[in-house]
Amino acid sequence: MNHKEYIYLTPMPVRIWHWLNALGIVTLCITGLQIRFPEYVNIFGTYKSAITLHNTAGIVVSISYGLWLFYYMFVAGTLAKLYVPNLEDLKSGIFRQAFFYFFNYFLGRPNPHHSTPDNKFNPMQKAAYLMIMLVLLPLVILSGIVLMNVSPLRELILIVGGIKILVSAHFLIACCFFAFLFVHIYLATLGHSPFAHFKPMWDGWEEVEDHH
Amino acid sequence: MNMQSSRLMSYLIMVVLSVAGVASAMGAENGKCLNCHGSKEIIGKGGERLYVDEAKFAATTHAMIGCTSCHEGVTPGHPQDGFRPPKARCKECHGNIQTEYAQSLHGSKAACSDCHNPHTVKKPLSVSGDDINAQCAKCHDTKKIITSHTKWLPQADLHIDAIPCITCHTGSTNYVITLYIQDRPAKQNHADFKVASYNELTSLVPEGKDVRSLVDKNGDGLISMQELRTFNHEARKKNMRLWGMMTPEVVTHSYQILDNRWDCSFCHASGPKAMQTSYVAFPDKNGTYNRVAVEKGAVLDLLYGTPDFYMMGSTRSTPLNIIGALILVGGLMMPIGHGTFRFLTRKNRKEH
Repeated sequence: MNHKEYIYLTPMPVRIWHWLNALGIVTLCITGLQIRFPEYVNIFGTYKSAITLHNTAGIVVSISYGLWLFYYMFVAGTLAKLYVPNLEDLKSGIFRQAFFYFFNYFLGRPNPHHSTPDNKFNPMQKAAYLMIMLVLLPLVILSGIVLMNVSPLRELILIVGGIKILVSAHFLIACCFFAFLFVHIYLATLGHSPFAHFKPMWDGWEEVEDHH
Repeated sequence: MNMQSSRLMSYLIMVVLSVAGVASAMGAENGKCLNCHGSKEIIGKGGERLYVDEAKFAATTHAMIGCTSCHEGVTPGHPQDGFRPPKARCKECHGNIQTEYAQSLHGSKAACSDCHNPHTVKKPLSVSGDDINAQCAKCHDTKKIITSHTKWLPQADLHIDAIPCITCHTGSTNYVITLYIQDRPAKQNHADFKVASYNELTSLVPEGKDVRSLVDKNGDGLISMQELRTFNHEARKKNMRLWGMMTPEVVTHSYQILDNRWDCSFCHASGPKAMQTSYVAFPDKNGTYNRVAVEKGAVLDLLYGTPDFYMMGSTRSTPLNIIGALILVGGLMMPIGHGTFRFLTRKNRKEH
């Protein structure tokens, strides 16, 4: 008989956050495209509706990020453990994982990393998410908030070097998020079955691979 | 020089001389009136409206036609005879404008002289956007205006700072970006920026140099992207900045709420081809502004030129767009590149 073992990998608050965030970021990318290239992209009817939706999605993602940070820092208390690569990860883990993705995977060799609730991410994921969640997302949120309040925050804009620097940073980070979407969705299909990694993000439970 | 051109030349000389003659005669005529009306003492005798600032009046077109052209009924015994000359009638010369204005929403609210002082009036292009808005603010409280626009206009405060009211509320056409040099009052690092006055700017240029040389370094009458960059770099240290406003080249007096201005794309989705014409307006000592053209496209370029001017949907930067596209392509390489190898080596993973 085929025995399947499951682990509860993604708690409900994290799942809610993830999908809210996903919806928010996709909305931001598409509305952002219309805001930047209005004469080529017109998905949301008027320019104003694209801006209103962009601002609303921006606020939703900002609040959702605040809740995420609060949850991981103070409720679960696992921010550092899950997201910050340790010395071992930096010395060899990242390279081992990269070697798996770009070489061993094609030869059919097993993934060196096995997700557990305490060690959910492989070293490459840790590095990528650390960059995204603690550097890029805060930067794009902050620049977005300033761009929504140009007149009241004029002093701040001058300190950063002018509104154009701010807009450029906001745009380039947004491109990084757009690019990340492709990588993120693709990598999620690399489990032992194409949808193996999608399931835990929906109901929390991941099927453990049987290596015996 | 052939016969025809020499005739033309002598005709031109005659016209110039006669205009100059009329102007000097007018000057003498005006001088008589200004002897009393140009002195502030008259304010005490008959009120502010009787005073004419001689220097400002001299810069107006009205000075050319002379006081008595508009104030016809001045008697030889004026003012001792107690006869009050009738008020000037603008429509005698500005008939078309008067008709258009009378039919507008604003027509019944204010007379010509409520907005335009005929003794200090300037050409539309010699007035700063701030001056235009200050005129409207005499009756329309700026805070209330911001509140009423906030109902539909995102960042209304920013918009009202960057667009003269008449850009949207008259049938104006041909928009350009006009940049003004702004600074902060001395030693007040966090005070609001204000359009810098002629005197403030003259103190920044070497003696004898024109204020335009602050930005137009080579004095060729055209501000290049490089000159804008240089100015902005220096301006930061001096607590100055270039502030852009979207100003119309042609204005009308048909005050109205135009339906197409509710649509943000009227300005913002105009694309990289529109709004490429821009100027830097420099104050003159008589309170007017002189414009110097800026290299086409320089103002809307994202990276250089004007760090403090950004118009969503119109401001562009090809280098930044290319970098953005490369980032996206980089992201796509993972599913495409890795996915191809994955497909080709699928047999190796069959047993798992």
